[in-house]
Amino acid sequence: MSNSTVSVRLDAAGAPPPLSAAGRWAERHFKWLLVAPAVVFILALSVYPLLFSLVVSFINYDFQVPGHAFVGFKNFERVINDPVARWSLVLTAVLSSASVAVEFALGLVLALAMVKEFRGRAVVMSILIIPLFISPVIVGQLWALLLQRPFGPTNYILSQIFGHEVTISWLTQSPWMYLALILADVWQWTPFMFVILLAGLTSIPPNLYEAAELDGVGPWLTFRAITLPHLAPMITLAITFRLLDAIRLFDIIFMMTGGGPGTQTYTASYYLYTVGFTQFHLSQATAGSWLFLFFTLLVVTLLVRRLLRTEVR
Amino acid sequence: MNEREMRDFMAGLSAEVDATLRGEPTRRDFIRRFGMMVGMIPLAGGLLSSVSTMALAQAEAEMADPASPLGKAQAAAFAASTEGPKDGSAYRAAEAAKAFSGVTLSLTSEAGLQGLDPRNFSGPMWEKLTGIKTNVVELAWPDLFSKAVAEHIAGSGAYDVLDVAPMWTPSLADGGVIQPLDDYIAKYMNPADLDDYHPLYKALPTYKGKIWGFFDDGDIFALYYRKDIFEDPKLMEAYQAKFGAPLAPPKTWPEYIQIAQFITDNMAPNVYGAGHFRKAGSPGNQFDFLQQFRANGGQLFDGDMKAAIASDAGVLTLNNMIAANNASIPGNNELDAVSLWAAFLTGKVAMIYSWPPSGRMSAGYSQTAAAINFIPQSQIAGKVGYSVVPGNPEHATGFNKALAADSANPEAAYLLMQWMTSPPVSLARVMLPYALRDPYRLSHFTSDLYAALWPDARAYLINLNNSANVGLLDPIIPGAQDYFLSIDRMATSVWAGADPKTALEVAAAEWNDTTDRLGAEAQKGYYQEFLKLPGATADNTVEKLGLAVKLD
Repeated sequence: MSNSTVSVRLDAAGAPPPLSAAGRWAERHFKWLLVAPAVVFILALSVYPLLFSLVVSFINYDFQVPGHAFVGFKNFERVINDPVARWSLVLTAVLSSASVAVEFALGLVLALAMVKEFRGRAVVMSILIIPLFISPVIVGQLWALLLQRPFGPTNYILSQIFGHEVTISWLTQSPWMYLALILADVWQWTPFMFVILLAGLTSIPPNLYEAAELDGVGPWLTFRAITLPHLAPMITLAITFRLLDAIRLFDIIFMMTGGGPGTQTYTASYYLYTVGFTQFHLSQATAGSWLFLFFTLLVVTLLVRRLLRTEVR
Repeated sequence: MNEREMRDFMAGLSAEVDATLRGEPTRRDFIRRFGMMVGMIPLAGGLLSSVSTMALAQAEAEMADPASPLGKAQAAAFAASTEGPKDGSAYRAAEAAKAFSGVTLSLTSEAGLQGLDPRNFSGPMWEKLTGIKTNVVELAWPDLFSKAVAEHIAGSGAYDVLDVAPMWTPSLADGGVIQPLDDYIAKYMNPADLDDYHPLYKALPTYKGKIWGFFDDGDIFALYYRKDIFEDPKLMEAYQAKFGAPLAPPKTWPEYIQIAQFITDNMAPNVYGAGHFRKAGSPGNQFDFLQQFRANGGQLFDGDMKAAIASDAGVLTLNNMIAANNASIPGNNELDAVSLWAAFLTGKVAMIYSWPPSGRMSAGYSQTAAAINFIPQSQIAGKVGYSVVPGNPEHATGFNKALAADSANPEAAYLLMQWMTSPPVSLARVMLPYALRDPYRLSHFTSDLYAALWPDARAYLINLNNSANVGLLDPIIPGAQDYFLSIDRMATSVWAGADPKTALEVAAAEWNDTTDRLGAEAQKGYYQEFLKLPGATADNTVEKLGLAVKLD
């Protein structure tokens, strides 16, 4: 395109109207205007509450105790000195680790089984991922109905299978209640692991497997030498995502055990909910949230570092 | 500018000019249109508001068949509001409220069934009578407290009439969330209507000498048992032979355990002796412990406001509860209130003690409403007897209607409260099949219309009255929910095998922590106020105070 063509076109368009002062300002700050609404929303809905919660954790903000006096670290002390809080943190770590470990193992097995084409594969995959689309509250209620005595069918079915009466209190008896919680979580989230790992498996170049086959490499060595190293970034990613979600475990607890018996199935989220919204000690719950966030950040940092290291490799 | 930069500049310029010539939007257009969109937001807000108002507009009041007892009660409520008696609280409220026609009042209500009455019946009827609209805000149970407080702190005036648990009254009154009604009562209410409350309930909204609401839900526990089992000749004979006493509804907790175990031993797995709602978080544990503990002579706090539950009475209570659990339906400790009802209605257990809807459901009356379709149809209608819970039954929570301090229309809100709780209107409300509001006025207990709802309804009403005569109130002090939570944790840990004495000590420590947090001296003052109420302890029930209401 020559300069003369441009000139002709500009002449045809006529001179642009002069901009007002506001127009010139808008012209100069156009990009900022575009992002401004999003920034305002984020500040209003995320950053402000976060900062406000920090303030709340250092004052009295309790619906039963009038006033908002500054109390220093007292709210944090209450959480740290509360044996229920400490137990809930331990249980959160145990339950989330156990759930994610089982989900990973099952997800990997399923992904390996489903990576090859077979008739009806699409239907099977669709069925497998259905639990992902169900609200965790519904999942909790579903499993509570299945396991609850005396109406749930689980004990009856087990009795038929084993040929003698099974009388397990799945929701109120240790260790069964922990197994029940893990079972419900695994049922819902194994498909997540499966989908991510399947995506990872399908991205491994098939010629590597062909070469291994030509070299006479066995399946186990193929898995260890080809599949696992290539799948490692996806494994780390899936475990990171799942673990971050699992440590927030609340809905299933709420529906299945109500935190009981006693406080034996209190997770960190359930503890914070109880303190904040059953007992109305909002400042203590907020301080607990910050402490919980701190521990979560430790885990996140470790996992993300691991993830980045895997990617670099 | 080098040649490449010149070429890029010209290409960009050319593309922009071409776009202008083609009439495509420029950045300036974008900014202008974006500004117009922003300007539309306030307009859209108004538009959306009017659309949502239309969508949420109240329907006509749902009226029952005029020939039915409920239909007659509803007609009587309407007539009392329009024709009088002129000195009746319903008529005076409806007449005075016409001055506020056009305003909208917001009522909080527990989400679910509780919200159906103001949505479907009383709210629309009130609008028809007065022109005042009602907006029902349904909230989860704990939010009835927390949202009321939060909105008060924010000064939003979001609510006009609050549904609150009586135990919250001191906190809400001292916190300025609700306002006293004494002046309005003097101006508008027929004093005789205050005397129509059962004595257990009359004083419930009273705090520091003022009235902070109208009691609106007689949540007294009662014993519901299978008459056909208790009157079975073979069982009666066997029981007499074994224990040397007739098989009859139990009067004491040891009797209760003995009968439950006897029925289980003789009828399981078809029928078990008893069932209880013991699941963590379902409030059965706290109510049952509180009623049995106090009936066993237990004191909640000592003179220094230290928790006194870790006592012999506490251990006895927990041991009795464990024995009752063992005599009950398998899975007893996993039942919540609804699944316990399901077990009773399907004939699996012979005795339960629970809230008054148990009687209406077992008679099959509640299930006539589609809203109750989550409850099984009763297979035991006509077979259920009513008795007072051994010892002293718990008045398990209940509701007060309270006037929000920040209401923009406090007088209109008060008048709505007076009208809803007036004798004729409240009778129609507690008779609704889906109602979770239970009879609480003397005129409810003696109502011929209520008694006509099912064959044994008269006996049911008399039993509710008799239960209230010896009933015990939940502690009405700040932090009640903390104390209750500790009881629930204690009880469920004991059901899972913890040592009762140790669990009681843990709960007592939690109670003391709660007391210290709220201020021991202040809590002591609140507790002393509570002890003045009839039904605060087993030693000052309505009956022991000589105030019992006798019904034939």
